[in-house]
Amino acid sequence: MNDETSEPTTEDGPSLIESDVASTLDRFGSSERSIVGLTVLAVAVFPWLFVRAPVISGLFRGYQSLASLILIWGIFALGFNLLLGYTGLLSFGHAAFWGGAAYAAGIFSASVSGSPVLMVLFGTLFAVLLAWILGFVSLRRGGIYFSILTLAFGQMAYYLALSPLQGLTNGENGFTDVDVGNLFGFLDAFSAFESIPLGTPVPLLGDWLYVFVGAITVLCVAAVVRILHSPYGLVFKAIRENEQRASFVGLNVWRYKLMAFILSGAFAGVAGSLFVVHGSYVPVESLYWTTSGEIVVMTVLGGVGSMVGPMLGAGLYLYVENVVSGDPAIQPYWHLILGLIFVAVIALFPEGIWGIVGRVRETFSAPSTDAEQGGEN
Amino acid sequence: MSIVSQLATILLNGLQQGAIYVLVAIGLSIILGTLKFVNFAHGALYLIGTYLGLLITLNITISDGKLAEWGYGQVGLDLGFLPALVIVPIIVFGVGLLMERFIARPFYDRPDTDQILLTFGLAIVVQEAFKILFGGQSYNFARPAQTSLGSIELQLSGPIDLPLVGTIGIWRLYVIAITAVLVALVYLLIEYTDFGLVVRAGTRDAEMVRLLGVKITRPYLMVFGVGAALAGIAGVVGGTLYAVNPNIGMEVLVPSFLVVVIGGVGSIRGAVVGGILIGLTLSSLVAVAPQWSQVGIYVLAAIILLARPQGLLGSEEVAP
Repeated sequence: MNDETSEPTTEDGPSLIESDVASTLDRFGSSERSIVGLTVLAVAVFPWLFVRAPVISGLFRGYQSLASLILIWGIFALGFNLLLGYTGLLSFGHAAFWGGAAYAAGIFSASVSGSPVLMVLFGTLFAVLLAWILGFVSLRRGGIYFSILTLAFGQMAYYLALSPLQGLTNGENGFTDVDVGNLFGFLDAFSAFESIPLGTPVPLLGDWLYVFVGAITVLCVAAVVRILHSPYGLVFKAIRENEQRASFVGLNVWRYKLMAFILSGAFAGVAGSLFVVHGSYVPVESLYWTTSGEIVVMTVLGGVGSMVGPMLGAGLYLYVENVVSGDPAIQPYWHLILGLIFVAVIALFPEGIWGIVGRVRETFSAPSTDAEQGGEN
Repeated sequence: MSIVSQLATILLNGLQQGAIYVLVAIGLSIILGTLKFVNFAHGALYLIGTYLGLLITLNITISDGKLAEWGYGQVGLDLGFLPALVIVPIIVFGVGLLMERFIARPFYDRPDTDQILLTFGLAIVVQEAFKILFGGQSYNFARPAQTSLGSIELQLSGPIDLPLVGTIGIWRLYVIAITAVLVALVYLLIEYTDFGLVVRAGTRDAEMVRLLGVKITRPYLMVFGVGAALAGIAGVVGGTLYAVNPNIGMEVLVPSFLVVVIGGVGSIRGAVVGGILIGLTLSSLVAVAPQWSQVGIYVLAAIILLARPQGLLGSEEVAP
């Protein structure tokens, strides 16, 4: 856990005398508008670099559908980190929101409307409600018990989908009746609109599916930045630093924790619904604890407590899982290697890959160490 | 079947299922209560126990995984069940000591989340290692049929006719008996020895025990070892009841954590009560509404938590 005692200097933050370029860059990097701007740029260039750029993409061996998938898991990691990195709560039950939203969106598409926009809205709404209930129960106990309980109630969601709700979820075969329609399919009633199939190619970006996922990614990043820069986000950080002190100041810690849990569940829901739009299938494993474990591993490997870290972690994880581990020499061992790396990171570099990048940057840039911290946002 | 025999069968099945959870949960509970260490790798100890039990008890041919690929497809000592029941806990006790010394101890002063993440990563490593060696398939660890203890011949499997209950597998009774004996031993160890005194004091206030000048390094080591050994035995016993595969560790861990939370952390009686409650919930739901059985235990846990967050037998001050 990296210690962010000095708050990132926002636009209206404490006015330091910042003459050197590094701190100006940092200030730029942490202002809300520039973060969103950079995200737009990154999302726009990513598939080209990853899939179609002349030499680089050959090295990556990336493909279009993996580019979308990386963003989807990136949203999941972003929301997960809101809870773990900024509020200090380690949930092992986020599969419930990811998978729950996936089922909700899938069933919605089969029985009401296949419009991706509505699917995501419905899935997210479902995840929020579920997070409310599970959060209410799990937050009865703090600290480690919270992790244990979220793990347990996440498993409950899995068993619910597996057996009693078989009629809805199709049990262990997964939900196969997903019927993803055209983007804005719900506007078909207005003849002025022409709805767009998701597979329609788009220059540079790939297809409309990616445009849709990318747009939502930018929205999610903007939302998280807004939350973190608001007084609400400050309370989250206060709770992470010292829960007892936060409650002595007069904050209703329990309520804020529940809200952080619900918010993070909402992002998991957005991602889970997008996952169904992307794959047109809901495997029951999406609710299993291994999914919760995957998001934990991605976030922690990437680096907890920053915006970039978890998304980077998600990207790296999926890239290795889908491309590198295709190598038959690595394939059977890749989960073991992953586990060993994970253990090593926890023991030696708890701040993750992005934290190491930050540390390297710190040693190379200006010696004004206390102003550096903000750059991580 | 009459109502009475039906109820008796549900009760016995519940006790037998609960027994496994109790064995795993006691270790979790005393480690969590005394050392304040959350061991997500406790299920991995169960996993180690169950595979060791398999290897000691039987001689099997494996067709999947790297062992088979490397030409060691024929594994196992074929020693029978009782030796496994003695050898496995000793080995797993050792594993527990190593875990405490090299994994847990450096993390006592780290944040809780780091402990959870570390042990979670470790659980993945162990699970994957077994998956690589033995493949992902399930093995059946045949129930011990018969064993001789000196001159006494013990009939371990097969049906038995009990008054009221009717016919049930005799092995279920042995599982309950083995658990009862072990729980009694641990209870005596904790309640009536100096070691137990330190453990109990540690559950109340570890800091104060340290300040009083008690050398807690060795008791801590022992707590971890005993907890691990119990998980190992649970693995051997559980291996005779459920299929053995690399996922079984986590499958057992989650309900066992529920047992700890329901019963109250650090309380052996709590673990027993919680385990029996969960076992009975499972077995009665299996009889009435089988598809709800797995969900039922979580609902039970949620209800108990809402009513008594510190657990049934947990004390307010121990619960953070």
